[in-house]
Amino acid sequence: MIADKYAEEIEGILARFPHKKSAVLPLMHLAQREYGYMSEDAMREVAGILDLDPTHVLSLAGFYSLFHEEPTGKYVLEICNDLACALRGADEFVEMVCRKLDIPLGGTTEDGLFTVKGVMCLGACDRAPMLQYNLKFAEHLDEEKFDNLIAYLREEAASGEEPPSVVEKIAAYAKK
Amino acid sequence: MSDLVKLIIDGVEVEVPKGTLIVDAAKQIGNDIPVFCYHPKLEPVGMCRMCLVEVGFPMRDRATGEFVLDENGKPKLNFGRGLQTACTTPVGEGIEVRTTTEPVKDAQSSVLEFLLSSHPLDCPICDKGGECPLQNLTMQHGHGTTRMVYSDKLHLNKHVPLGELIYLDQERCIQCARCIRFQEEVVDDPVIRFHNRGRRTEIVTMSDPGFNSYWSGNTTDICPVGALTTADFRFGARPWEMKPAASLCTHCPVGCNTTFSTRREAKSGGKHVIKRVMPRQNEWVNELWMCDKGRFGHHYAADSAARLKRPLIRKNGELVEVSWSEALDFAAGKLQQYGTAVAGLSGDRLSNEDLFQFQKLFRKGLKSHNIDLAARRLAGGDVVAKVGLSSGSNLKELGKGDAIIVVASDLHEEAPVWWLRVKQAAERGAALIVLNVRSTRLDKYASHVRHYAPGQAVDAVRQLVNFAKVEGDSNGDALSAAAETAANANNLVIFYGSEGVDYEETAVIAQHLANLLLMKNGDGHAGRPNNGLIPVWPHNNTQGAWDMGVHPAFGPGYAALETPGLNAAAIYEGAANGEIKALFVMGADPVGDGLMADRGQLEFLAVQELFLTETAQLADVVLPAQSWAEREGTFTSGERRVQRYYPAVLPIGDNKADWQILAEIGERVGLGKPAFAASLIFNEVAKAVTQYKGMDYRTLAQVVKQWPDVGGEDGYYAGNAQKNRAGLGQVWASAAESGDAVAYDVAETAVHVNDGLALIRTAALYTPGTLISQSDVLADRLAQPTISLNAQDAAQMELAEGDLIDVNVAGDTIAALVHINNTPAGLMLLSGVPYVAGTAVAQIGQEIKD
Ligand code: SF4
Ligand code: SF4
Ligand code: FES
Ligand code: FES
Repeated sequence: MIADKYAEEIEGILARFPHKKSAVLPLMHLAQREYGYMSEDAMREVAGILDLDPTHVLSLAGFYSLFHEEPTGKYVLEICNDLACALRGADEFVEMVCRKLDIPLGGTTEDGLFTVKGVMCLGACDRAPMLQYNLKFAEHLDEEKFDNLIAYLREEAASGEEPPSVVEKIAAYAKK
Repeated sequence: MSDLVKLIIDGVEVEVPKGTLIVDAAKQIGNDIPVFCYHPKLEPVGMCRMCLVEVGFPMRDRATGEFVLDENGKPKLNFGRGLQTACTTPVGEGIEVRTTTEPVKDAQSSVLEFLLSSHPLDCPICDKGGECPLQNLTMQHGHGTTRMVYSDKLHLNKHVPLGELIYLDQERCIQCARCIRFQEEVVDDPVIRFHNRGRRTEIVTMSDPGFNSYWSGNTTDICPVGALTTADFRFGARPWEMKPAASLCTHCPVGCNTTFSTRREAKSGGKHVIKRVMPRQNEWVNELWMCDKGRFGHHYAADSAARLKRPLIRKNGELVEVSWSEALDFAAGKLQQYGTAVAGLSGDRLSNEDLFQFQKLFRKGLKSHNIDLAARRLAGGDVVAKVGLSSGSNLKELGKGDAIIVVASDLHEEAPVWWLRVKQAAERGAALIVLNVRSTRLDKYASHVRHYAPGQAVDAVRQLVNFAKVEGDSNGDALSAAAETAANANNLVIFYGSEGVDYEETAVIAQHLANLLLMKNGDGHAGRPNNGLIPVWPHNNTQGAWDMGVHPAFGPGYAALETPGLNAAAIYEGAANGEIKALFVMGADPVGDGLMADRGQLEFLAVQELFLTETAQLADVVLPAQSWAEREGTFTSGERRVQRYYPAVLPIGDNKADWQILAEIGERVGLGKPAFAASLIFNEVAKAVTQYKGMDYRTLAQVVKQWPDVGGEDGYYAGNAQKNRAGLGQVWASAAESGDAVAYDVAETAVHVNDGLALIRTAALYTPGTLISQSDVLADRLAQPTISLNAQDAAQMELAEGDLIDVNVAGDTIAALVHINNTPAGLMLLSGVPYVAGTAVAQIGQEIKD
């Protein structure tokens, strides 16, 4: 239970907001850091702390693509396939990525390293095709650049070096 | 200063109050600007863009701030801001709105094209088809053709249960959020929400059970498409095949106005059946809403196989079918055989006509005043006659500066629509004062809450009234602050109920509260519109039973009797010890409800009923009655609104209306020819009950134009909530309205002190009972017998959440589940079981292991 395990941190988060309800996103990040994704239990826990109906938390998890409702790989590759990117070949790019990693859109590789998601506009339409991983943008992508990215990430994972996770980064921003 | 604003809409000048939205201003002159997300009972959000119109705003000179005038000396208009959403833009002085220009038409057809690009267009199998705003507006404003490739459409799930009562068709949803906003803004059950984005946006729920709200059915009415449907109607019938029949809900004293949709169908063997129930607009009663008990709890009437169909007489120990004349002759003969040792007990769900005829049969025909309600819970009908909520009131008008007091009642469970309207009044600024033994869902909206100790309700009310007498004596006590608020309120409405108090206590509470209303701080509250007392009666027509004189001490119209008859308690005693020899029970089940152990020494027992209840099984004659859905009549709500209901389906079997059976028995005991129509009996009522003077079936059927205008030709606003063409009813005036009410000299009562653990039975909307248990669709929602208590008390008794235990209450053993919550110390709350009077002493028995 995050309520017990992170009692102090939660108290700190709650203290930053005039209304309890407003702390829902930071608490969801905290829950996702703990469990890796927003499981049903995680949503109920967050809702319980804030006296919200869990449907509220589910709704936010569904709206924001940085929240995952299924377990994910170590790296989540969020490819924009919204309109502008689609016009610049995002759909073909997604197809290529899925073929290369041998997973469907939304799936996770067997080694547990990569999850591929299609997301809405990330504000880099002029540099499509593009994707986001760990809150970093990779832009003007083609097959070669994608291969390089994957190779690089595999290396990073093999080195055992832990990149700061997305949620940690966000938690750090939130703290500032 | 004028609060009115003048504007022009399509060349027509209109004057409306400041702040009115353009869409409503247009509606007032019959100009229907198309909408989807807008609903007059919800906050506008401007989500769907269907209501785009051109708006010209008067131009001002930047330097001088003066209006820029054209050659005719009129302010020049600036139409340059682009199209505006009429549902979010308030009117302004001198603006001009254009709703039929090319840019507007283009916007309307474009929005429709966009919506239809991901709509399945399965109108031929859609429940809403035929009464669907999307269908209608597409016909009116859409392109006749499509530019979409049909097979390119996104397909989504079509049968998503949001719980077992409401189903979602994801493809049909146009994401207007009416359902979500209704649940959040109106009823404060935010258990459904959007999930995902864009075309994949869907409605989800995580509550347990799914869509956990007593109001869920209303979302199917206001959904502008067929995305939300009810489990008991979906795929059941097409709208144009069904006939509407105006009716009333029979489940609580609010008296929600309803419409049955009925049809005759092969599927049901050629019978007329009720396919669905929907609210019928009455802005004084239920506005556009009803609770799910009313919507789903009607199946007992027309579609229950358990309904009686023919009269029964006991022969050789067996109840056998006989003809009406045999049954009536037998009943009439027996009832006359025992002189004054005869008594009658009635239920309080029957119509005024039935109840009037009942007392007439006993008083005039059998010369006995031994009549009463079988289950007496709440007293004070006579007090209500003096200081009841004044005619001309509307709870909707209460707000800032007003006060509402709720004593000993959980409105959310007992009378949901009153809960909603009280909550909304509090949200508009009315001070809400709640007195109860425990917390209820009203506390959240209350400005003053007093939880008194078990058994001390009368005392708390007496204190409140005494504090109000001594002006300005706010000694810091929460109750005295509440009293001051109440005494100084512009308007004061008081609800009182029977939770944790017994019948005698409720009589005293009513009198105290009457005194509070009659207190002359300023004008006194009683007698003025939007002021007065509202009893939270146990049933839909308890008020009518009092009015008709189904009471041992009052005749019709509260005429006090010189020599009262026996009351229910005395009748039960008389039946047990042989002083009463013949008993007639109408629409009640005293044996099943534990009020009567068995037939006792009765020589004759007649039961008039819908079902073969436990009491009926012991009877000598059983007279099968029609349910309210099979005939017409009137009920009187807790606000004393006399309202009509109409026949919806044909009678089941050979059944007759209760009043008719009583009149035919009456004829046999010398009361003359029976009346042949309910309306004629009502005319008799209007003569005998002075308060009903001037009412008849025509006056009760009168309607006036209501706002918002739902269910009109356009049908935009409410989906299929029905316009009220059948009557708004009439409220009878309390004595205080003509200055004829004086304060009560209330007798001092001894304060109850409880030793040991006090137990109070609390109401739950879906408490299993003869009627509601017949609705299969509600089976999973029925309240289980449950004991709630706080953690300390539970620990002391070594009880844990979810334990199944035996509880001994007033001699009865009930198996109940343990639930641990914030119940006050020393108290146990028992819910999900039939009524238990007052504050009992409980004994916890063994844990039941299975
Ligand atoms: S389900 Fe109906 S009411 Fe709810 S958002 Fe969709 S279309 Fe609107
Ligand atoms: S609030 Fe009462 S009258 Fe209205 S629908 Fe519900 S049970 Fe029926
Ligand atoms: S559409 Fe892909 S980044 Fe904007
Ligand atoms: S935007 Fe006005 S009705 Fe939807």
